[in-house]
Amino acid sequence: MKVIVCVKQIPDPALPGELDSATNTLKRDGKLILDESDSYGVEMALQLVDAAGGGEVALVSMAPNGEVSGLRTALAMGAAQGVLVSDPGLAGSDALTTAKVLAAAVQRLGGADLVLAGTESSDGYTGTVPEQMAEVLGLPSVTFAKSVAVEGGSLKVNRQTEAGYDEVTCPLPAVVSVTAGVVEPRYPSFKGIMAAKSKPVDTVTAADLGVTATGWDAAGQQITSVTQAPTREAGEVIEDDGEAHVKIVEFLEGLKVI
Amino acid sequence: MNFAFTEEQDELRSTIRAFMEAKSSEEAVREQMETDAGFDADVWKQMAEQMGLQGMHIPEEYGGSGFGYVELGIVLEEMGRALLCAPFFSSVVLAANTLIHSGDEAAKAAHLPGIAAGTTIATLAFTEPSGRWDESGITMEATASGDGYTLTGTKSYVLDGHTADLILVAARTSAGVSLFAVDAGASGLERTALATMDQTRKQARLEFSSTPATLIGAEGAGWQVLETVLDLAAVGLAAEQVGGAQLVLEMAVQYAKDRVQFGRPIGSFQAIKHKCADMLLEVESAKSAAYYGLWCASEMNEELPSVASLAKAYCSEAYFHATAENIQIHGGIGFTWEHPAHLYFKRAKSSELLFGDPTYHREVLAKRIGI
Repeated sequence: MKVIVCVKQIPDPALPGELDSATNTLKRDGKLILDESDSYGVEMALQLVDAAGGGEVALVSMAPNGEVSGLRTALAMGAAQGVLVSDPGLAGSDALTTAKVLAAAVQRLGGADLVLAGTESSDGYTGTVPEQMAEVLGLPSVTFAKSVAVEGGSLKVNRQTEAGYDEVTCPLPAVVSVTAGVVEPRYPSFKGIMAAKSKPVDTVTAADLGVTATGWDAAGQQITSVTQAPTREAGEVIEDDGEAHVKIVEFLEGLKVI
Repeated sequence: MNFAFTEEQDELRSTIRAFMEAKSSEEAVREQMETDAGFDADVWKQMAEQMGLQGMHIPEEYGGSGFGYVELGIVLEEMGRALLCAPFFSSVVLAANTLIHSGDEAAKAAHLPGIAAGTTIATLAFTEPSGRWDESGITMEATASGDGYTLTGTKSYVLDGHTADLILVAARTSAGVSLFAVDAGASGLERTALATMDQTRKQARLEFSSTPATLIGAEGAGWQVLETVLDLAAVGLAAEQVGGAQLVLEMAVQYAKDRVQFGRPIGSFQAIKHKCADMLLEVESAKSAAYYGLWCASEMNEELPSVASLAKAYCSEAYFHATAENIQIHGGIGFTWEHPAHLYFKRAKSSELLFGDPTYHREVLAKRIGI
């Protein structure tokens, strides 16, 4: 079984991020790391290949400056190879262009039985790339998968919903977005880290993939303004005069959580 | 000159740190401190099966990964930072090193694969109730009995001695100090967990009464092996101490920035500022000593004995001082059981005494440099 995972390399969220004042986007000049939300897709892919008794997990990624640090982490976990699309002309690409680029990278790898992606990246949060990729590739799309299994040549997905989950059956190949926290991503061994260094990463440009690098000019989206998140306000203190529970119930009802 | 870790070693460190943050939180540490075994078997298994940590420096022909002591040191440093409760030091540093340097191929083949896989937890029992760490402290007698030997006597302060599956014991025959392997289920072996100040690392007293044992290596060659093992252990412990010291430094500096008194962060007062600067100075110096020790251990060069004692003496004092100052900087809250400061203070104290205190190592160092 061949599974391709879309992995985004993002600025380390533990470090203070910086915005480009001209474009209102995150600066991505330094070292990038594997987006944690994509590590779940990598883990799920590795487990599916194990369960199938063999095959390969490959990666596709789009990042500036030929950055491979995050890809190496996924390779250390056990993926076999990757395609990195790195092209200055792709800076400022919107979600649809990103989807076209990643779809072309999937095709460069010869396609797959299954394409996995996180539901959304931890830095951009558009949450639309996997579905657009599916459309570009002409494949069925299943979103918010909390578990994925292959049975009898078709895909069985438990799809997270607000109320519980839907059981979805889908033909292969398909594109599936997976939720975070369902599987515990493996921690790579030092052997894996060392082996990742020599695993093949095919670095290509948009032109190599036959995609027009439109960048900022033709992006269908624009970040018009950015404002500071409001600082957290002090909570309300309720003195218990014997009726505090009523006020707490009213508060929770106001939040519509009960 | 380039004293930096490689990109892969940095990646190893960040992987271990993420693992420790997930599996050895303060809550998890406190939970394990309260248990008899003192470690989480699932975490131990994941460390072995997924990350290969127990086999990190064990040669590949014995089931390990065959990496060096620098990589093992990075792992120990991160474990020290998180106060990981696990029999890693006893099994991987003490027991595995004893076997690796024993020169006994049969013993290596019999025990190292299990240690590397995490399925065998081993330890080294050499100290006795006298509390001495040198050769003269080993008085337990081994008596030849048929094809094997029997051991009679007491070993104390044995790290994870009450949970280990395999105990490597130093005892005397007519030829001198020799090493023996004892199965945890052997007859005449009684194991008692000790109530120690630092419950993040369990210790036990082991009573042997005509307990059957298998000789490792040659009779009388035990102390020569142990000398090397204790140097490697001193360096490993120094790395662990550096990890804990760095963590309490960060804890103290953060608190000095956050805590406001008299309208200013307490870190702006000279009394606190200078304490933090002194801690940084000592922690950085301790890192240099520990890392140099790791490199010597990795190379197994002639500097190892003196650098091991140097690193153990300096890192012990730096760690203990950092944990004590951390409590002072935290003021009242630092003295509470709810705050983690005392966990590090106790670990620093027990580590300071383990394998000889700084005074002992200064004496050893002086001897080793020919004074």
